[in-house]
Amino acid sequence: MQKKRIVSRHKNLNLFTIKLSVNALVSILHRVAGVALFLLLPLTLFTLQQSLSSEASYQALGQLFGHWMVKLFLIACSWAFFHHSYAGVRHLLQDAHWMTTLQKTRFTGWIVLALVVCSVLLFAWSILL
Amino acid sequence: MIIKLLTSQYPGMRIWLSQRLTAVVMAGYLALLIIVLLIVRPSGYDAWRTFAGSLLFGITTFITFIFLSFHAWIGVRDVLRDYVFNQTLRTYLQIVVDLLLMAYIAWLSFILWGL
Repeated sequence: MQKKRIVSRHKNLNLFTIKLSVNALVSILHRVAGVALFLLLPLTLFTLQQSLSSEASYQALGQLFGHWMVKLFLIACSWAFFHHSYAGVRHLLQDAHWMTTLQKTRFTGWIVLALVVCSVLLFAWSILL
Repeated sequence: MIIKLLTSQYPGMRIWLSQRLTAVVMAGYLALLIIVLLIVRPSGYDAWRTFAGSLLFGITTFITFIFLSFHAWIGVRDVLRDYVFNQTLRTYLQIVVDLLLMAYIAWLSFILWGL
């Protein structure tokens, strides 16, 4: 029989004092972006529906997308999309045993973050101008 | 060994692989869609409607969306298991997610073919 042992461990649950490594950051953002994309599904379907149902709703959608607040929202959505996609491709490559040492994963983690920033900026530039 | 891992003895392995395969399908669809959109460049309502009304767009989009639903189902399931500790609440939330995903699939088929 095993005796129950009460272990007192030091706990630190203050999230603001934990410094995430780049791998952890890419990972948690992948999850956050994934949940965001799931929550955005009805909006995506609604947009597709409005763009197809009639000429008038198509034009109305175009007008809606012209509003700067909607554009900002779209840019935020694009972040979720780009991050989830790129970090996902990184996961797939890691599953195929590509770049799996700590040093290399840190490198690919930074690559993902850099690509996401570039893509979001490119997207923002293309819809704001 | 790999074949053994994919039998019903190891359901987690199947789920794990499903999440990867669905991801690959979505990436493929997306790449294809972007290329086709860059070639066709539908501008205006009529061109867009013709493009989206084509059989190829409808079938590939619908199939990809089913894969996407499965991918999302696995992802949300993992998130719920990690953060919702109350078993009853988690079960209800999972049912809500399942129903939502099924409703989205029905909604998409309505958008694509029931216009």
